[in-house]
Amino acid sequence: MQVTFPHMGYIYVGIAAMAKWLNVGVVVPPPTSQRTLSLGVKYSPEMVCLPFKLSLGNMIEALESGADTIIMPGGLYGCRFGYYHKAQEAILRELGYDFEMVSQELGIMHMVKRITRGTPLREVITGLRFGLTKMNVLHELEQMVHKKRAVERDRGEVSRIHRDGTKAIENAADHQELKRVRQEYLQTLKNLPTVSPPIPLKIGITGEFFIAIDPFANMDMDVELGRLGAEVCRPLSVGEWIRFTPVPIILGLREKDRSHKAAMPYLSRNVFGDGWQSVGEKVLHARDWDGLVHVEPFGCLPETMARNIMPSIKDGLPVLNLIFDEHTAKAGVINRLEAFVDMLRKKKRRQVKVCV
Amino acid sequence: MIRIGIPRALLYYEYYPVWKRFFEELGAEVVVSPPTTQDMMVSGSSRVVADTCLPVKVFLGHVLYLVGKCDYIFIPAIRSVKSKVYNCSKFLGLPDMTNAVIPESPPILDMDVDVNKGKRKLYQAIYQLGRHFTWNPFKVRQASLAAWQAHLNYHELMSSHNLTPPQAIEIISGIPEAEANSSYLSSTRATIAIIGHPYLLYDEHINHRFISRLEQAHNRVLTPEMLSAEELQLATARLVGRAYWTYEEEVVGAGGHYLQNGVDGIIGIMAFGCGPDSLMMDMVRRQASRLKTTPFMSLTLEEHTAEAGIVTRLEAFLDMIYRKRRIQAESCR
Repeated sequence: MQVTFPHMGYIYVGIAAMAKWLNVGVVVPPPTSQRTLSLGVKYSPEMVCLPFKLSLGNMIEALESGADTIIMPGGLYGCRFGYYHKAQEAILRELGYDFEMVSQELGIMHMVKRITRGTPLREVITGLRFGLTKMNVLHELEQMVHKKRAVERDRGEVSRIHRDGTKAIENAADHQELKRVRQEYLQTLKNLPTVSPPIPLKIGITGEFFIAIDPFANMDMDVELGRLGAEVCRPLSVGEWIRFTPVPIILGLREKDRSHKAAMPYLSRNVFGDGWQSVGEKVLHARDWDGLVHVEPFGCLPETMARNIMPSIKDGLPVLNLIFDEHTAKAGVINRLEAFVDMLRKKKRRQVKVCV
Repeated sequence: MIRIGIPRALLYYEYYPVWKRFFEELGAEVVVSPPTTQDMMVSGSSRVVADTCLPVKVFLGHVLYLVGKCDYIFIPAIRSVKSKVYNCSKFLGLPDMTNAVIPESPPILDMDVDVNKGKRKLYQAIYQLGRHFTWNPFKVRQASLAAWQAHLNYHELMSSHNLTPPQAIEIISGIPEAEANSSYLSSTRATIAIIGHPYLLYDEHINHRFISRLEQAHNRVLTPEMLSAEELQLATARLVGRAYWTYEEEVVGAGGHYLQNGVDGIIGIMAFGCGPDSLMMDMVRRQASRLKTTPFMSLTLEEHTAEAGIVTRLEAFLDMIYRKRRIQAESCR
């Protein structure tokens, strides 16, 4: 059995680690490229959203390189994402591929059992734990990277360390090595020579999960923002998503719960996807961030709702909406980000002057 | 007397008799906006971001029309009406969105209809809604029972008499039925099934009188409402397994049913930017191309859709079907 899964940010690191731990054959699809996108667009329904097209492209490329089982989460409600696996299965079957689609529609345990086939549960849990730890370490590294990129002295240094660090985390074979790698890279980042920008900015990225975290889909937006000297805060990340910390969940201290609470006066119900959180983020961080970049794929249902509601929040953050589809060009994204950062700087400079 | 405004858009076609009965039982007056006009569409579109789907824009246009003409506007958030099948995000947040983009609207009566949260929550929601009119829970109970009966009657009427929702609503409201129904049946040239959501099929402004055009060309028109719930469910199960969105049986179930039931052609109508339909209409299209028995055409509507474009495509589609029938008839002879 050769298991594969579509790309989403760095999630492949975690899944590959779990699979290796559990001795399941895994095919990591080739990194998302223009070819992936073209394949996805060619075989997808015309008006479906970008994550569908990209993940379909990933699946085709993985099946080409020998995979026979696809893991695709599904069964989440409201948003199209929960239905991807069925539509994609129909499309791939029509293209003549022979494979098995495993989704969590019948429950997560069912999915795990089908992939691990008879491995004792204790071992499965340790394997999952190892994968999750890797994701958490990646998350920590990423947060540090976002902080440091805005103030780095040598351009591109942080990105290089991030790349090496991701590779090292990917190659770590056990918990001890992972711990060592984590220490090493966090320390390197901490000791990096920095310059302090005249006006430090903090910009949040929120919106649809996939676009927010996938570097191919969002055209390396966090790197571009960092280059413009803005510290990126991105509460959406796989690490945050899967982190299981019972106390904050019960007390409602997670970013997600806090943002939902903040959104209450404007949007009192869950619209599924990440729409509720997007609205909340604008209210929640009105004090500690300077701006918010809201990203979504074209036609996204929950985020369209969020985008309609956001302007009615008068004392929230300034928001830049970016909509992505297969025709989005990187130059357009960079242009808008530059203009947005300039505007925020100007605003902040004026505020600082008034205070003095 | 309290006047309750109900916009003639979105779920109006599905639930109007229920809502009307419920509010009238509680002693309120129901004000319905007139059929969609160009003005409504334009004013509704001007309030929201451009890629919101057409039916929602039209809905907001109706709400804007009702501003100043009623004391409350009734906009429920219909989350789910079946276990583990939820609605599209646009319906889930509809009251909140209306509130955000039309701040001048009269107070919104909203309620959560979510059967997945259990009966207790549902009954509580109904009572909360009734509390605006009476404190007496028994009165609310009576009204909701009467409303439920009205709902059953309405659907029974549609599937037994092959009526479209606007026709059924006319009969229920006591307006004498126009005799358009029987005149064309004698000389039908073809039977065409139309699949799609009622708020697209029966809004004559946004679909440019699509159904009456078909009827004027002497075709028999079948719509999803003419099928019983069991038929829809069966066809949905055959095509996609379990339905994923609440109102998708109208598309995928009706499409699946008519594809195998000897109609001459199927036309799918969807709105630009409709999330569920972008996948479901594609499922129907795939099935149609797999079976290769029934011609299928899909039309996408938005506010810029021109009448001429619709007419041309419809004519081409009908010509193709007539020719196919003629060739079949000749080869039989």
